[in-house]
Amino acid sequence: MLRLFHSGRINGAWLAFLGSIVVLGLLIAMLAWPAGSEPSKTPLLVYCAAGLMTSVTAIAKEYEAESGVPIHLNFGGSQTLLAEFEINKRGDLYLPADNSYLGMARKKDLIAEVIPLASMNVMLAVKKGNPKGIKVLDDLLKEGVKLSQTNPDAAAVGKLTREKMEKLGRWEELKKHTTVFKGTVNDVAADIKIGSVDAGFVWDVFLIQYPDLEKIPIPELDGVSAKMSVAVLKSSANATAALRFARYLSARDKGLKEFERNGFKPLSGDTWTGTPELRLMSGAMLRPAIEETIIAFEQREGCRVTRVYNGCGILVAQMKSGQHPDAYFACDSTFMTQVSDLFLDSTEISTNQLVIIVKKGNPRNIHGLKDLGQANLKIGVGHEQQCALGALTKNMLETAGRYNVVAKNVKVQSPTGDMLVNQLRTGSLDAVIAYASNMTNNKEELEAIGIDIDCATATQPYAVGKESGNAQLALRLLDAIKSGASKERFVKNGFHWQGAPK
Amino acid sequence: MAQPQLIRARSDVPFYVAFGILGSTYVFLIIAMLIADLRFTTGPHLLQALSSPEIRYAIKLSLISCTITTILSLWVGVPLGYLLSRFQFPGKVAVDAILDIPIVLPPLVIGLSLLILFQTPFFRALDTLFPITYAVPSVILAQFSVACAFAVRTMRITFDQINPRGEQVALTLGCSRSQAFWMVVLPEARRGILTAATLAWARSLGEFGPILIFSGATRMRTEVLSTTVFLELSVGNIEAAVAVSLLMIAAAVIVLTLLRVFGSERTFGKAFEP
Repeated sequence: MLRLFHSGRINGAWLAFLGSIVVLGLLIAMLAWPAGSEPSKTPLLVYCAAGLMTSVTAIAKEYEAESGVPIHLNFGGSQTLLAEFEINKRGDLYLPADNSYLGMARKKDLIAEVIPLASMNVMLAVKKGNPKGIKVLDDLLKEGVKLSQTNPDAAAVGKLTREKMEKLGRWEELKKHTTVFKGTVNDVAADIKIGSVDAGFVWDVFLIQYPDLEKIPIPELDGVSAKMSVAVLKSSANATAALRFARYLSARDKGLKEFERNGFKPLSGDTWTGTPELRLMSGAMLRPAIEETIIAFEQREGCRVTRVYNGCGILVAQMKSGQHPDAYFACDSTFMTQVSDLFLDSTEISTNQLVIIVKKGNPRNIHGLKDLGQANLKIGVGHEQQCALGALTKNMLETAGRYNVVAKNVKVQSPTGDMLVNQLRTGSLDAVIAYASNMTNNKEELEAIGIDIDCATATQPYAVGKESGNAQLALRLLDAIKSGASKERFVKNGFHWQGAPK
Repeated sequence: MAQPQLIRARSDVPFYVAFGILGSTYVFLIIAMLIADLRFTTGPHLLQALSSPEIRYAIKLSLISCTITTILSLWVGVPLGYLLSRFQFPGKVAVDAILDIPIVLPPLVIGLSLLILFQTPFFRALDTLFPITYAVPSVILAQFSVACAFAVRTMRITFDQINPRGEQVALTLGCSRSQAFWMVVLPEARRGILTAATLAWARSLGEFGPILIFSGATRMRTEVLSTTVFLELSVGNIEAAVAVSLLMIAAAVIVLTLLRVFGSERTFGKAFEP
């Protein structure tokens, strides 16, 4: 046994060592104490640019109170944060001070959805009262005026300033008269506030954070602005909850209001609802190609998509009578043009070929449009007014000069190609003119005969409603429809892909 | 006899003046910074800082984590310093060089390295069992990674300066290595241990770079006082940043003074005597 006792008392060094164990235990207990009351809901980890702390902290507090989901805000420089989640591959949202960081994150395949938030302008700032009497850009070049800038390669403000000044041919002289280049825009603002420089280029939103600053309006900086957005990280294990908070941040009646209070110019955001409902009107032919994508989208976003599938003529009539969907996916661009005043610019997603569909084995020996005039042939086509299919068929037959010949054999006009295919399968028709995609589910029973005319192609565009309160959500659905997984579904269903996958 | 004294008296004055001037420049610099800080903040700012729950949490976390780090650093620093000082073993030069790394490297690199380390399969598994990254233990680990190096260095120099004779005598009188260490060497190293503790504690309080990267700057979770200063500066709240800096200075002065008082020969000396 160690002889720790010396003349009847415990060795002092040992006592100190044992004491340190006790102290350590006590301290750890003190730290661990509050951790026991962690809320049950999974917290969201948000990487947030430090400059946005005021706005985002307030929004997060409000959201926590409303939803009970704890928001852990991790602040830092936009670039540093990017490096952090690139390495540790965890976290849910990324909120950099400028969209350029999102570009980098996108290139590294680190982010999924991006939702725009607000913008801010570059301004020339001086200390309140403008002690050096700076009025125009040229005043910055005067002897005795000290200018601080952010490093154009490190911070967005510097980059934007350099771009604009280079365009105006003023960059070189400004650079020469710059006393110091700083790493972050906050350093520049602090320089002006403390008085170590006389002027600097900073964000206009700083006027609220730094009441000691004053803006010098110079025309050279008009419209020089940065946009910021929030992005969902690919690493998020809880994307639905992350998207929900992202929607809250970007909602025009929630987060954007707070950004506006802090001097930002809010971009167009959706109105807040916990479970938003998106109304989508879509040509019936698109259903097999988009249904799975929409279900996955609903699950990820935690929203509901109300789909109205019908012939496009009917949909257009509904829209003209006052029903305005959040998004419209048309069977053919002609049906988009008719309601273009209701929608923003459309995106072409796919094309679909008109074909003659007959039963397997081709019992009536049909090899092209010329064979559709034979006696006792029962033909089905799309309804000329109700759907794109009918309108396109008519146009195509007229171009081929065979409209009248075929018309006498037409026994039925249907609003959707699927209906025509069903009638063909039951045997009530011998041939139908429909989209190639209409027969993908019945390839064993049916046969397609190609039509070799240019105008036998329908183009399917997607557009978001101008008045939609869910425009951003509808745009994210568009992104989902443009995704690689969606492309596969389109191709599998007989469509030709137009939209380049993201 | 009178002659040399005269010469000495004459030559001493410039010596003291020169040393006094050179030495005081640094002291004045520190005092001047403190005064400038004080001019940039006001009583209400300090009160406001103290009343914020985030900052109160940061104070608590800072004080507790620094103390834990200090104890851990001593636990490692004392044995490692002793081994390095007393024994020759193969690879000692390499170990010495390795121990310099945390001192030489920019703190950011330490944080980055920790973050990368915790992506390796073993540490990832550990992290899921016992959350470290972005949680409080990461703060302590980040502080420890740097502070411990200082504790080791200090302890090694301390043991170097203790004459091994006392120990050898104890050994010849029948003590085991362990007994000689606990009863002879360690009590003699008391001042060195105090210095090591002070350095480790102070170093941990000022630690910022590794914490920002490895622990994040999450309010009410991993925010320590140095993080608070950074966060307040980021939103242009220089007054609050300065107020928190002054709180840090106050906390440091109080703790380091307490450590010195408790560690002084008068109060602690007796207990340490063999």
